[in-house]
Amino acid sequence: MANRTYEVMYIVDPETADEKIGKLNEAVGKLIEKEGGTVVRMDDIGRKRLAYPIQKKTEGYYVLFEIEGSGQEIAELERRMRVNDMIIRYLTVRVDEDRKAADRKREKRERRAEKRASFRPAPDSGASPAEARVDN
Amino acid sequence: MADRDLEMLNDRDIGVGEDVIGDRPRRYQRRRPRNVVPDYVDWKDVDFLRNFIPERGKIMPRRISGVSAKDQRRIAQAIKRARSMALIPFVAD
Repeated sequence: MANRTYEVMYIVDPETADEKIGKLNEAVGKLIEKEGGTVVRMDDIGRKRLAYPIQKKTEGYYVLFEIEGSGQEIAELERRMRVNDMIIRYLTVRVDEDRKAADRKREKRERRAEKRASFRPAPDSGASPAEARVDN
Repeated sequence: MADRDLEMLNDRDIGVGEDVIGDRPRRYQRRRPRNVVPDYVDWKDVDFLRNFIPERGKIMPRRISGVSAKDQRRIAQAIKRARSMALIPFVAD
């Protein structure tokens, strides 16, 4: 199966000891590798205020994983996160398709800008408005 | 800003229209898009998403945000994701 990219974010109970959170993150990484996925990026965001209380907690420890795989490992990971009471919230988002679409869009814009530039040779080599736009 | 000038252009360009809500049409003026929507709308980018969340915490309607329908859908989806991860409130008091 074609490889897919996922973003998995979860919120850990802030009362958990730091080393326990570290272990949990390690365990997640290992589980992914075991199930045939690869961890592209692991971002330990840390303690943050929640926008609203969850389980009477006003803070949470955020962790973000970027995972590449078939989707099998995601199913297993979600199953485990559901039963783990250290994890108070999790969310998985598939990102590869949207990113590809964004890349296509950017390419198209760049091509169009090139075409435009070739028709109308610019007197000065200043940045064209298309280039000044924010990427990503 | 004379009314005569406005008549020359069509409503879509100027961003003025009427909505019939209830018994009386309400006038509204569309805001020009204040933000260039990035190619990839990231649900983790809270600072960007906050541009589309007025005081009350609701998602700004397209009529006011002025972004394209496609972008509005992506923004709305991103806001909902951010909400479920407690990055953005569902309701702000």
